[in-house]
Amino acid sequence: MEEGRPIFVQLAEQIENDILSGALPEETQVPSTNEFAAFHRINPATAGKGVNLLVDAGILYKKRGIGMFVATGSRDRIVRQRRERFEIDYVQPLLVEATKLGLTHDEVAALIRTTTMEGSTS
Amino acid sequence: MTTTIQLPTRSSGGDELQRIVNVAKLHITARFALLVLPWLILAIIFVANLAIWMLIRTAAGDEAMSEAGEGMQFSGASSFIFVYMMVVAVQAVNATFPFALGFGVTRRDFYLGSSLVFVGLSAYFAAGLTFLNWVERSTNGWGLGGRMFDVVYFSTENLLTQFLQFFLVFLFFFFVGAATGSVYVRWKSFGMIVFFAALGFALIGAAAVITLTESWGAVGEWFVSNGPLGVALWLLVPTVLSALAGFQLLRRATPRN
Amino acid sequence: MSPVVQVSGLSKHFGSVRAVEDASFSLEQNKITGLLGRNGAGKSTLMNLLTGQEFATRGDIKVFGASPVENASVLRNICFIKESQRYPEDFYVKHVFKSAPWFFENWDAEFAEQLIDEFRLPTARRIKKLSRGQLSAVGIIVGLASRAPLTFFDEPYLGLDAVARQLFYDRLLEDYSEHPRTVVLSTHLIDEVSMLLEHVLLIDDGRIVIDEDAETLRNTATTVVGTRSAVEAFVAGREILHRDGIGGLASVTIGGLDDSERAAASAAGLELTPVSLQQLIIRKTGTTTREFEQSA
Repeated sequence: MEEGRPIFVQLAEQIENDILSGALPEETQVPSTNEFAAFHRINPATAGKGVNLLVDAGILYKKRGIGMFVATGSRDRIVRQRRERFEIDYVQPLLVEATKLGLTHDEVAALIRTTTMEGSTS
Repeated sequence: MTTTIQLPTRSSGGDELQRIVNVAKLHITARFALLVLPWLILAIIFVANLAIWMLIRTAAGDEAMSEAGEGMQFSGASSFIFVYMMVVAVQAVNATFPFALGFGVTRRDFYLGSSLVFVGLSAYFAAGLTFLNWVERSTNGWGLGGRMFDVVYFSTENLLTQFLQFFLVFLFFFFVGAATGSVYVRWKSFGMIVFFAALGFALIGAAAVITLTESWGAVGEWFVSNGPLGVALWLLVPTVLSALAGFQLLRRATPRN
Repeated sequence: MSPVVQVSGLSKHFGSVRAVEDASFSLEQNKITGLLGRNGAGKSTLMNLLTGQEFATRGDIKVFGASPVENASVLRNICFIKESQRYPEDFYVKHVFKSAPWFFENWDAEFAEQLIDEFRLPTARRIKKLSRGQLSAVGIIVGLASRAPLTFFDEPYLGLDAVARQLFYDRLLEDYSEHPRTVVLSTHLIDEVSMLLEHVLLIDDGRIVIDEDAETLRNTATTVVGTRSAVEAFVAGREILHRDGIGGLASVTIGGLDDSERAAASAAGLELTPVSLQQLIIRKTGTTTREFEQSA
């Protein structure tokens, strides 16, 4: 957790990342609010707020008396939302930096095509 | 959000008594220094006195010893215990008071609990001294004609009277100590300076008045006519005044460092 | 949620010194509130007032619905751990833990034992012989194991090393999760505790200057860094919390930004950096970081 941004937003993003990566598959139970709080060393109310953000978004759902579970289809929803934000969050800053360095859009595109992801083989 | 949480108020009489008893228990939690150490110090002084008595006896004989025994009464060998208890009372107010307040104790409960302990300790030490006084008399001064647990003016044959006198003197020292400690907690060293200066002036003033009016004879007469028990009972006046003053002072006191 | 503490128009003057001046706020039940501020800002005086140890010059204090002053039914629910707590003469560490249960009905002796082990506290030692850190540990253990419905910690960690402080934060969070209660933590180590806090009260020069949800507060400031002209153009018309710069570069702290504003800033070639709670509070109290950290 970093300072300067609401902690509950960061917690929600982390849970989403875990769902995306498959660490939290759909229909599995997620840790309790108190467990999140203890693990991240944050206030339980803040952790609760982060979890509730995902409950409100339909990513997580509550089973009374049991706990919180990852909703079916939530992975696809996260992917869709993140794709919508991809341009703002990643492409625009990339192009701002490229412009500073005098790289054209074509040159950036070429770079993207030839760059291999660190650790991947393609 | 205008409602405030109310906790169930369980302020029954038994509850209040329990709170006061808890403060009393707090005072005697560290038992050794309070209940045992004074006797140990007394024992050391006693052993030293025994040695001196034996020396006198061997060197100068029985007659010299009985004279020395009279002199011993004035030595005040056992009177340290009264001063010790005054210091106990000062520390109770100075150190235990801020601690108790951190534990959520009210000043009132603290003072009542402390008073309970002072009365209890007075009885405890008075009983001990009365017992030693009795043994000393029964053994003719520990077989040596020594007198240590006899305070010159306050000596009496009646054990109950003896106990009552010791008890009242202890009460006096405890509550004077508590009042002094309260002055310190309220006004720190500045309060102490003013307090002792005022006390000094009052005593010197009283002495001056007595001297100027040539009343020392009357004062001596007062002591004679009242007798030891009467004087000890009169001691209740400053004791009660100190107790009330201590309570008034502590009720508005804030522990500071 | 309802407030456990309600304060209105509270002032405490010592002669000409206004230690607390016209403070009005409330503390909600079962929240951890950070009482932040520089040394001498009035934190301790405020806590002394809330616990009935100090007498108010003016104003009204309600704790659990009543004045705390000499009120046994209020005070029995309060535990106040002070940085410079005095202990009875001749007390050993064990005496503190022996007597505490008489005053705290929720006292958990097992938990206290566990904490004594974890803090490696020598119980057979005289209080007077303890190191500064060990003394702090005694207070922390009492504060945690008492489980008082309203617990005050006034700079409770003096002399504790980073490991022991982390232990305190961890145990506080764990125990608070299981046994929710109202906690007020006064501190100047804001970076260390900020994530534990749900609410923040900032006192400066006796006045409450921030009374805000911690998460909301985290969102209230951003620092914009870039060329002077670009930064000035971007921040024009906004409330400026702090201004800094070197050569042609400027760094200006302003209020929080929404997504479109962030996009506009990055399009203008500006860099946005988050402002930590500690930085924000330093900005609000008009001190330098160094001054603040030294005001222990």
